[in-house]
Amino acid sequence: MADQVLTQHFGLENFYKIDEYVKKGGYEAVGKALQMKPEEILEEVKKANLRGRGGAGFPAGIKWGFVPKVDKPKYLCINADEGEPGTFKDRYIMSHNPHMLLEGIIITSFCVDIHTAFIYIRGEYEAIALRLEEAISGAYDKGFLGKNIMNSGFALDVFVHRGAGAYICGEETALLESLEGKRGNPRLKPPFPASVGLFQCPTVINNVETISNVPQIILNGADWFVKKGLPKDGGTRIFGVSGMVEKPGIYELPIGTSLKDIINKYAGGVKKGKKLKAVIPGGMSAPVLKADEIDIPMDFDSLVDAESMLGSAAIIVIDTGTSMLDVLKTVTKFYSHESCGQCTPCRIGTSWINKIVKRMIEGKGSKKDIDEIVRLASNILGNTLCPLGDAAAMPILSITKKFRKELESHL
Amino acid sequence: MVKIFIDEKPVEVEEGTTILKAAEKEGISIPHLCYHSAFPPEGSCRMCLVEIEGLPKLELACSTQVRDGMKVFTKCEKVVEARKGVLEFLLAEHPLDCPICDKAGNCKLQDYYDEYGLFESQFRENKEKREKKDAIGKSLIHDEERCILCRRCVRFLREVTKTQELGVFERGIHSRVNICDFAPVDNNYSGNLAQICPVGAITDTDFRFKTRSWFLKSGDSICPLCSRGCSITIEYHPGFYRFEVPKKVYRINSRENQEVNGFWICDLGRYGYSYLNENRQEKIALTNKKMSIEPTWESVRAFVAEKLNTLNSTGKMSQMALVLNTWLSNEELFLFHKIFREDLHVEKIFFVDPPQGESDDFLLTPERSPNRRGAQEIGFDIKPASLKALAAKADLLLVFGSFISGHFGSPEFKDALKNTETKIFFTSHVNELNSLFDIVFPTALIAEKGGSLTNVDGKVQKFAPVFEPPDDCHSEWQILTDLGQTLGINSSFYKEFKTPEAVSNKMKEEIPFFREEK
Repeated sequence: MADQVLTQHFGLENFYKIDEYVKKGGYEAVGKALQMKPEEILEEVKKANLRGRGGAGFPAGIKWGFVPKVDKPKYLCINADEGEPGTFKDRYIMSHNPHMLLEGIIITSFCVDIHTAFIYIRGEYEAIALRLEEAISGAYDKGFLGKNIMNSGFALDVFVHRGAGAYICGEETALLESLEGKRGNPRLKPPFPASVGLFQCPTVINNVETISNVPQIILNGADWFVKKGLPKDGGTRIFGVSGMVEKPGIYELPIGTSLKDIINKYAGGVKKGKKLKAVIPGGMSAPVLKADEIDIPMDFDSLVDAESMLGSAAIIVIDTGTSMLDVLKTVTKFYSHESCGQCTPCRIGTSWINKIVKRMIEGKGSKKDIDEIVRLASNILGNTLCPLGDAAAMPILSITKKFRKELESHL
Repeated sequence: MVKIFIDEKPVEVEEGTTILKAAEKEGISIPHLCYHSAFPPEGSCRMCLVEIEGLPKLELACSTQVRDGMKVFTKCEKVVEARKGVLEFLLAEHPLDCPICDKAGNCKLQDYYDEYGLFESQFRENKEKREKKDAIGKSLIHDEERCILCRRCVRFLREVTKTQELGVFERGIHSRVNICDFAPVDNNYSGNLAQICPVGAITDTDFRFKTRSWFLKSGDSICPLCSRGCSITIEYHPGFYRFEVPKKVYRINSRENQEVNGFWICDLGRYGYSYLNENRQEKIALTNKKMSIEPTWESVRAFVAEKLNTLNSTGKMSQMALVLNTWLSNEELFLFHKIFREDLHVEKIFFVDPPQGESDDFLLTPERSPNRRGAQEIGFDIKPASLKALAAKADLLLVFGSFISGHFGSPEFKDALKNTETKIFFTSHVNELNSLFDIVFPTALIAEKGGSLTNVDGKVQKFAPVFEPPDDCHSEWQILTDLGQTLGINSSFYKEFKTPEAVSNKMKEEIPFFREEK
């Protein structure tokens, strides 16, 4: 597929090894970037409208621009925690194409005047962490990392830090706490990490996929990148399709590709013998779409208009053979298990709702319980310390709203 | 200065002030549980959410700084509903054991429930079972079911004592505050944890199940147990006269004083209050039956005055010794100096204080008396009393303060005093040396009188009586003004001292140290 930016070399043998990568034109982007002025790089990334691939969709260039020019160390943290249920794109990038991520890290660091970068990777990705370590040591050997990168005088060290398995550590400030060796609890914002981040220093935090796009933007220019996607939302997305489809997997497609096409054309449609019931379009925290709502372009703004979100572009397909009460149970169980417990509404609200849903599954529920779930989820929404509370409340509210009749039929 | 509007009321505050502080300044209280002025905002309880015009979500009052022209609403429907929601969450898992909870009566969770709803619980699931009586160190008991995870205790140990004994374990609904194995809370300030806990999660065995907070009265005082002079609140049961239940002190709490102790007191000051309840010398005791005096202050005063005047007129002032202590207030020490140094020219003035003890690098000083610095500023040379000095042949010995019993054993002291003709003891407490004196006269404690103390850093702090002294007890400043007048050497000088403030004003006139604002 000509549209591929990130996954074009995924099939090649040994592409994760530095020699193969360099043979195919690897680290040319770094070479080019080091000849540019940092401001030029920033301008190019801003023009490319590269929006955060982690979930929030914040424009990367603008985020970098927030970093104050102070006489303090600055840090880059790559969020490779990939904890959102349904999301499995970053692991592919890191295992098939780790050097593209490293190139992105080097260019970003050069642009923002950073000399230390961390890749915070979820603990379960042990093999991938080892692969990253191998890639990093290869890059040091070739002079792409270290004291004097490609004789430019620019210095950068990259470290891999493995998490211990908490969803909350994908939240950027909890990630920083965890990286500092503390309990992974989110911090109160403001101050934002761009000004007070890791070890109280200015810090840029970006998702693996976001940073992996940077080398291509440098090589091919912002205009080329924007054309890959939409004017306000440049490039491609790696859509991770899972659930009841014939061909689950990752599909790199232009931003704005129709959800219907992704499911039917690329992922082979709903499993034979079943019909589509619902789709969660952006990881489990995204509000659910009904079968008749999937004719929608997959970009941040269109999904916001549809009262859902693109999130991490993890598409979970639910067929008519799946009970929405089970889906609800999976959602509430996950969030009550993963709530860090720091703030009241999330700690107690998610657990309370989970207890009600469990009772409903046991056949001891009533219609009043659904009202109760809606009331409690509304009390969580918008009132928590970090976005985990919203992430829990949104799917619960959308399932109870859109599938109320079905839920009632299970009681 | 920036101008903001809280509930449409214009308020002017300094830049950088938080909404919570700005509201407090205007007398508008915004409910909060995790926020404590001693620590940076935590933002985890979510009780202080307020509405700010132009912002889509509710914001935290504890951490949001004011901006010029900001319009804040603290009582609108949206805010009240959000508070109710948070409160409902907190109470869902909270046990209904207020009837046996020490915190009942001054529990913030109770107060807010009273204020925001008195709603019925909608929680029909099973509550989490947790540890109810976890000994977390020294005298502290942690009830995990009552804990609302405000983490004030965790932050106190991290930021104030830096000992970090407590942490949060597990996550989500299973989160709980606890100690690491084998490392209980053990520092000089652990008692503060029970005080800063906004609910009854951390209770103190010293207070646990002994009384109810609504029976207690409280009064502000200064801790006399070291020379730091921390601000405290004494909580006491006034007693039931009908059932012969006497007054009793149940608890000492710290009181905010940014110039001295911040928000905290040490455990010595917190738990060392038994002297307020036990072994008080309540009546005048006349041990020497040969003396013809009545057990009244008037009679004792006349006797002492006559004795002093005789010694003075016969030029035998060197035949008397005076023992003082530095639990006496500035005013009292000033009067002692006036009468015995300036009027009577007594040479033998000694001091007996409680023996020195441990100190730390925070609040606790080694001295176990509150006014050593004051005595020095007034002009006393603090000479400790020795048995040898007291053993000299003498006509009169006046001892103020009960601390001699900590220094001298009974047989040696008796032996030393055998050459002294008349021995008079002014003491707040009964002790084993009482029988060696001819007259024992009861005195009041700092909690029972007024005056001022000078702490180790030279800060002069006023205190007022919290409760009445028992029966015959007199404050030393009263004893001295009465004695000064009866002596007749300089009667008019002492006549004007009707209150400790009057003494203080005179002291400020005469000693520049007390004149300056400190």
